Amino acid sequence: MTMNPCDQSAVELSKLLRRKEISAVEILESALERIDQVDGRPGTLNPGAITDADKQKVHSFITLTAERARAQAKEVDRKLKAGEDPGALAGIPLTVKDIFVLKGTPSTAASKILANFISPYTATPVSRLEAAGAVTLGKVNLDEFTYGSSNESSAFQPSPRNPWDTHTVPGGSSGGSAASVAAGEAVLSLGTDTAGSIRQPAAFCGVVGVKPTYGRVSRYGLIAFASSLDCPGPVARSVEDAALMLKVMAGADPSDDTAANIPVPDYLAELEKGVKGLRIGLSPDYFRITYPDPTSGELLMQAISPEIEASVRRAASLLKEMGAEIIEDVPMPNTRYGIPAYFVISRVEAASNLHRYDGVKYGFRTPEPTHELRDLYKKTRAQGFGPQPKLRILMGMYVSAAQYSEQYYNRALKVRTLIRRDFDTVFDKNGAYRLDALLTPTTPTTAFEMGAVYGDSVLMQYADQLTVPANHAGIPGLSLPAGLDSKRLPIGIQLLGADFSESVLFRIGRAFEQATETDAWRKEKPGVLAS
Amino acid sequence: MTEYEAIIGLETHIQLNTTTKIFCSCKADSWFDPPNTNICPVCTGLPGALPTLNKAVVEKAVLLAKAMHANLLPLSYFARKNYFYPDLPKGYQISQYDKPIAVGGFLDMPMNPANGQSYIRHITIDNMHLEEDAGKTRNEPGRRLIDFNRCGVPLIEMVTGPDLRSADEAAQYLIRLRQLLRWLGISEADMEKAHLRCDANVSIRPKGASHLNPKTEIKNVNSIDAVKEAIGKEIERQTNEMEAGHKIETWTLEWDEDAGVLRKMRSKETEADYRYFREPDLLAIRMTDEWRNAILEGFPELPLERRARFIEDYGLPEYDAEILTGERSLSDYFETTVKTYKGDPKRVSNWIMNDILRMVNEAGKPAYELKLTPAFLAEIIQLVDSGTINTSTGKNLLGKVETSGRAPSKIVEEEGLAKVSDDSAIREVCAKIMAASPNETASYKAGKVTLIGWFVGQVMKEMRGKADPQIARKIMEEMLSQ
Repeated sequence: MTMNPCDQSAVELSKLLRRKEISAVEILESALERIDQVDGRPGTLNPGAITDADKQKVHSFITLTAERARAQAKEVDRKLKAGEDPGALAGIPLTVKDIFVLKGTPSTAASKILANFISPYTATPVSRLEAAGAVTLGKVNLDEFTYGSSNESSAFQPSPRNPWDTHTVPGGSSGGSAASVAAGEAVLSLGTDTAGSIRQPAAFCGVVGVKPTYGRVSRYGLIAFASSLDCPGPVARSVEDAALMLKVMAGADPSDDTAANIPVPDYLAELEKGVKGLRIGLSPDYFRITYPDPTSGELLMQAISPEIEASVRRAASLLKEMGAEIIEDVPMPNTRYGIPAYFVISRVEAASNLHRYDGVKYGFRTPEPTHELRDLYKKTRAQGFGPQPKLRILMGMYVSAAQYSEQYYNRALKVRTLIRRDFDTVFDKNGAYRLDALLTPTTPTTAFEMGAVYGDSVLMQYADQLTVPANHAGIPGLSLPAGLDSKRLPIGIQLLGADFSESVLFRIGRAFEQATETDAWRKEKPGVLAS
Repeated sequence: MTEYEAIIGLETHIQLNTTTKIFCSCKADSWFDPPNTNICPVCTGLPGALPTLNKAVVEKAVLLAKAMHANLLPLSYFARKNYFYPDLPKGYQISQYDKPIAVGGFLDMPMNPANGQSYIRHITIDNMHLEEDAGKTRNEPGRRLIDFNRCGVPLIEMVTGPDLRSADEAAQYLIRLRQLLRWLGISEADMEKAHLRCDANVSIRPKGASHLNPKTEIKNVNSIDAVKEAIGKEIERQTNEMEAGHKIETWTLEWDEDAGVLRKMRSKETEADYRYFREPDLLAIRMTDEWRNAILEGFPELPLERRARFIEDYGLPEYDAEILTGERSLSDYFETTVKTYKGDPKRVSNWIMNDILRMVNEAGKPAYELKLTPAFLAEIIQLVDSGTINTSTGKNLLGKVETSGRAPSKIVEEEGLAKVSDDSAIREVCAKIMAASPNETASYKAGKVTLIGWFVGQVMKEMRGKADPQIARKIMEEMLSQ
């Protein structure tokens, strides 16, 4: 397959567009053609059998809004022709994780309970991207209500598959976002990250994913999972594109009190400043994982994949060659408690956030006759929610009950404070480490096979253990591709920084991209494109 | 029979009179609006919508906290109170829990029983919570109608300690609270419109005992009279139960206004678990000194303080002071008039209580909106005092000033209302009356001096009240005895 407009970067497409060498409609048609070639049928509630042909496709989408996109693209072309400013993202094909509401389109959260919900309003990040001229192709799939790390839990099947190898998962919960960008169906995607839901699928699909500082991007219109952890963020194929997209989305919002009232830097202007003098840390606590033994429940420790560790160490030495200072053996002792604390905090918030889906106002209502209110609630929720929401409601209700909340919820909040303290210590400008960033693997493994982990909710959750600390602490994290493993699956590395240090992470990421520009793996294409 | 005392605590919900709701920009007051017209994604809990705090709510709460001597917390938090109900669209109410806007506080409430010694009841306040209201549910046969207009209307929940000892005290507390809320301008405090709602916790114990017995909670009491009546009946019921050797059970009771009876709603064996946790969608409220000082700038003297001062400084009877401080603008009106008038404050009080109050009530507007300003009232009283006009002319002037908005002295001058103290004019009239009444004149001269009243009346009538009756009498006597 040759290089199509949809395979170009947003920055490059913007230049071509402004030089009138390409039109927004041409870019859009190229993306729609790609979708037609590789996506297969969109996820639906009643998919029937998943065929072998289905298993060769990506299935990023739940709702494709081609006509709406055509109108947007035409408007961009009109503005360009009229000499008006079409915006920083003019004509760039964008997919939106179906956890954001978009006026007039189904906003499903990949759940049966919201399958028929047409939003009367648009989420702030989406409206900012569209105001900057981005062309929204549609809503892409995710784990139901974002509850998962593989996309397999979506109520809309077939669920997305990894474009590098469609027998493996794209990661999650922003799996549709990462898959659509990796497969060239879109140039950019808007995802959300609650424990690693942008970074982990970005790593699995070989793209760039950013979890911004909590509060950097407004959550207004993001269907909530765990409100104190949820962060909207960009998925792109280059650091530069991610920086461009974040610049457009970020900033204070009168509709979200938790959106920070801090000016948004010009990330692109900072991008090429290099890494000279930056202090970048490596922590042994990110080269091993802790997980519970499935039978005994005992916590076991295990080294991460050696190929992934090697990629991180290579990145460190490349950055060192470019002038960064590498600080080894940075202790991050509370990393191991990230998942247990997350289990508790996220479930308490999730259970509460799911209360509103009761069949009374919108969304699914049981078609069965109900004799009283409780009956309506029970049947609607039993039939409308899939297994993941149910598990999270059960656990959330349990650990927040008056007699248990001290033991679980309040304790988890204390652990969260300790995790935050780990980061404060190493990023402290006057401390012993004075790090500008921590360099870690994004995930303990590369993409796993479909069906291999799904069903084991605990083990699935442990796929997030290197990403979740950033959510607890509220700090920014960037995942970027760093090579392919022996199975030709992408490896992701992660940069973590202090609050609102996105521009530093982008600089380091950009430097790494330049250092690896001529690497052989960069020429490799995802399996679905290599025909 | 054992003598019992009642232990009463009131849980009040105060609807604040902000323009917009607590977490969105929808209009807060929907009293005159059709159902579901003041709603948006935020207050109807649509997926993805987020609350943003209306600062005016905090400012009004700060005023109440100050008035109740409550301590503002430098950091307070919202919390989610989780429960399912169709008129609670998010499935949780955003309220406060462990760190509310203010804690502690009290009200020293004067009680003046009709047949007994006056006393002060010290009522403690546990804390004040900010929260959002839920919607309204109306059950019809076979269906349930929900109006979301009220969702997100700002409320303060304020709970008293178990400090009240009678139904009268409970009613008096609500009267004082209502007065205070209106005084501060933070709530319309109309119980009939549910701006001020009250649940009462009632128990009894032998007088002098220090333990607390199981209590019942009375809900749905929508007027001060209803609170008084419902509590009275519940005390009576509990007394009868105890006298009969029965235990009081912790019931929730509902007041049936029409039937005037309490009905049992449910037994309360277990407390509901609302699974409170901090609301992650809102920031902590940081009550800085600067903000608090800005809110409290110009904080008014409170009604009970002003009442005491009126008694002290102006020598008013308690009765007058109570009425004059019933409402803030009336008390301001009184005080401004006194300061302009510079004479006896009791005289101003009499004018206000006899006439101005009636005008305020008839006009249905607060005293400060009268065209008859305090300055004009002071002027009228001065005109009467100086003898320029007589009292009845003064009273007539009140209405004339209110209608026209013109200065009393101007009206007196233009309409020639001033008393005639010019001898010659009165003499002329006296002579005329004597000439027209030969029989009466003869009788007087023959010794029937009591007729003088009749003569003076004739003079006043002839002069349309403008004559000074004292001078008229003196001249008439003089002329009749010649």
